[in-house]
Amino acid sequence: MRWPHAVVLALAMLARDTGAERTLPDYRYFRALSIDVVGRPPTRAELAEFEQPTFNLDKWLDTRLGGPAYVERIRRIYADLLRLELPENSAVFRPPSILLQWTTIQDPDGKTVSLYFRDAQRRAKPEIDGQVCFTPAEIGVTVGPEGNHSGTPKPVSKKLLDERTVVVKPWWLYADYKDKQPRDRAEPGWVQRFGYELTWSLFTEPDGKTPTTGVRVCREEAQLPATGRVYATGRDSKKGDPIPSGRTTRLPGDTAFARANAGRLTSCTAQTGYESSVECGCGIGLERCLPTSPGGFVMPWITPLGVNQPFDSAPRPAALWLRAWWSQEAIHFLDRIFQDDRDVREILISPSTMVNGPLAQFYRFFANATCCGAAAELGYSKAEPLFDPATVPTLAPYEVSNWKVVEDRGPHAAGVLTMPMFLLKYGSRRQRAHVVYNAFMCKEFVAETVKLAPSTEPDLTKRAGCASCHKRLEPMSAYFARIQESDWTYLPASHLPVSLDRCTAGGPAGMPMGACRTFYDADFTTRTSTVLRGAYSAPSHADEGPRGLAREVTSSPEFAPCVVRNVAQSLLGRQLTVEDEAWKTALADRFRDGGFRMRSLVRSILTSTQYRHANDRAPRAE
Amino acid sequence: MRSMALALLALVACQRSDKPAVIAPTGVVIAPRGELIAPAATDPLPAHGFVTLDTSLKARRRAVPAEVVLRAYLGWFGGLAPREAFLRARGNDLFDQWSYYLAALGLPDHHVDAPRVSQSNTVMLATMGRMGEALCIRSIERDLRTRTTPLADRVIFAFEPVVGPDRAAFASRFDVLHRTFLGYPATLAPTTRTERFFALYRAVAARHRGGRLTADETAWAAVCTALVQHPEAWLY
Repeated sequence: MRWPHAVVLALAMLARDTGAERTLPDYRYFRALSIDVVGRPPTRAELAEFEQPTFNLDKWLDTRLGGPAYVERIRRIYADLLRLELPENSAVFRPPSILLQWTTIQDPDGKTVSLYFRDAQRRAKPEIDGQVCFTPAEIGVTVGPEGNHSGTPKPVSKKLLDERTVVVKPWWLYADYKDKQPRDRAEPGWVQRFGYELTWSLFTEPDGKTPTTGVRVCREEAQLPATGRVYATGRDSKKGDPIPSGRTTRLPGDTAFARANAGRLTSCTAQTGYESSVECGCGIGLERCLPTSPGGFVMPWITPLGVNQPFDSAPRPAALWLRAWWSQEAIHFLDRIFQDDRDVREILISPSTMVNGPLAQFYRFFANATCCGAAAELGYSKAEPLFDPATVPTLAPYEVSNWKVVEDRGPHAAGVLTMPMFLLKYGSRRQRAHVVYNAFMCKEFVAETVKLAPSTEPDLTKRAGCASCHKRLEPMSAYFARIQESDWTYLPASHLPVSLDRCTAGGPAGMPMGACRTFYDADFTTRTSTVLRGAYSAPSHADEGPRGLAREVTSSPEFAPCVVRNVAQSLLGRQLTVEDEAWKTALADRFRDGGFRMRSLVRSILTSTQYRHANDRAPRAE
Repeated sequence: MRSMALALLALVACQRSDKPAVIAPTGVVIAPRGELIAPAATDPLPAHGFVTLDTSLKARRRAVPAEVVLRAYLGWFGGLAPREAFLRARGNDLFDQWSYYLAALGLPDHHVDAPRVSQSNTVMLATMGRMGEALCIRSIERDLRTRTTPLADRVIFAFEPVVGPDRAAFASRFDVLHRTFLGYPATLAPTTRTERFFALYRAVAARHRGGRLTADETAWAAVCTALVQHPEAWLY
């Protein structure tokens, strides 16, 4: 006799309510839920609890939705979509202004000691201006820009050593580096105290025995002021000029900025301060710089279960560990959204973020080091940053495991879209727009079938064969026109309007060379107007910035169904099909009406028939 | 054949209209040029039959995410950190390096945009077997051989072993392992699973030729290893 399906189901439910034994599908469902919201299969103790007649699965599920394993599970969906890690060998962000190069010299006793310096550091003495603070004649070796040296070292006199260098207790060795007499020196216990680990190469002098109690740096690098006077020498250095004897580089010439602003104060955290002032150093405890060597900063290496549980780690130069924290910033930002069940649209639109000590140091002192390059010619020399340094919380650079919320990074911030990791991973404007289109609208650019013909049409929204994709892509990528490619430098409208008169082709020589051609698109320049690069298809989008893109995407009808699709496919372990369309639509409606909260969406999926039957295949006999 | 058919068609097209119709090799009836096929009543269509279609989705089982595999594995090692688990597992060529296993388990590598592997493959299965063997042998040594871990604290072999267990003694102990790795009682297993694993146990114990582990310990290690890499352990 065959029982109707509904009767079987009712009996099963009755049996469950009366505490009867669990069935195999019950166990499988519980195991699947455990894998998805606890992050591991159930233990025997949890199974025993599950088998109790009083066990309440709804209550059990509710207490786990919002737990760390749930947060990690949902974050993984977006981590897989955005892939916010950089290739290991990518040489990103190495501005010389923040990097303390490491070399060795001989002290007056003939002992080898470490010496830190910045490549291209401005110094008043012409023979050492722009390079290490000793001439080859003084130390016997020629020191290259990255600290490598050649020749036979000779002891430097004590007088000269004291004149040119100073010993500093740096931030990476002393927790109280801002005190007059720092005493709290790094030791192995810092791993538990700050989550920060150094290898012994940073604890000892080059002899491997003498404890390092301070680091010797060139005197200019050790300067403390936040601003310095612009220094103009009157020199004009050009490519092709001979390199003076005893130097490894040409004498630095005056930049256009230095010539125009000689004697004025400039910020020491900006590129202009570094290039044009002999008064700019690395600040107290060298906190405005990173030592490039020796590689003593232990970085978590393979971290599928988080940086606190690394499967491998390796000592690396501090300059390289920033990329790990950029990645962690995005992870902590997403975790906060899912942990607190915030509006999912915040992924794109929120001005908030989370930072730890290294990130606080980065945003306060380092981030503007790439500003402003050639834009200084157009009067842009003080960064208008994506992350206002004034909003950075007080955190010491070594406070690795201390994360703090920053509620508002500034007027240009927009979720992950303005984080360094996103902007470096997706270097071009089009890449940035593409990944947003794909991850948050679940759409892809597919070219039409058309025979491509040679064309001189610079407007890709019109060029045959290109238009089918670029008609949509170009206006989206225009939202990123004010963020430099492969960088995070913001290009403000105050200095770089969408069209700038002085960059038009009205002059006898056409469009001016230099900054105009760097920032403005020659293909769209006429005698009366020009266009900021990347903005030609939608100039208004350039001024709206990434926040404009975030608004457009999150208010589009595709956003909610796309979130549902991504989450449901991940939890079901399969693609949604046409049979799921009604279910998906209902979920998307509820998700939208409920204020875009992830927790209720995930709960709906986990308790759905689709999830329960996601693995309804009968197991084969082994 | 195709060229012959085309030639035939061309021939037909050039023929006078009073020629009879030709049947091309494809079976198509070709009317002579200028002639129409006279209309005729169509044969009635055969009556519709009814076939019940099962429209439910036939999904393959999901692979347990690699992160869950790793967390479970570390948990079975007693909740050790990855580095400590490595230190305990290595030795006697039982465990290599984490880095050798992690990609094989299907973890994505976002540094190089390598996607997550969501379907099992032979390398993945071999890796699970290798990791499972290390786990089971180290757990035997810790739980059963030295018996330094109290029964209540044993993660894997939470039972007192007996020498040469009979079927009933085996079944109760096997159930402990079955719950640990597959998440449900062995009695609910859809096949004669307990019998098959008991046979495995006896076969391994019978072939035992001495070594660090006894015949029963080796047999339990084999049962444990087989369960760790059972498809139900890594699919859900």
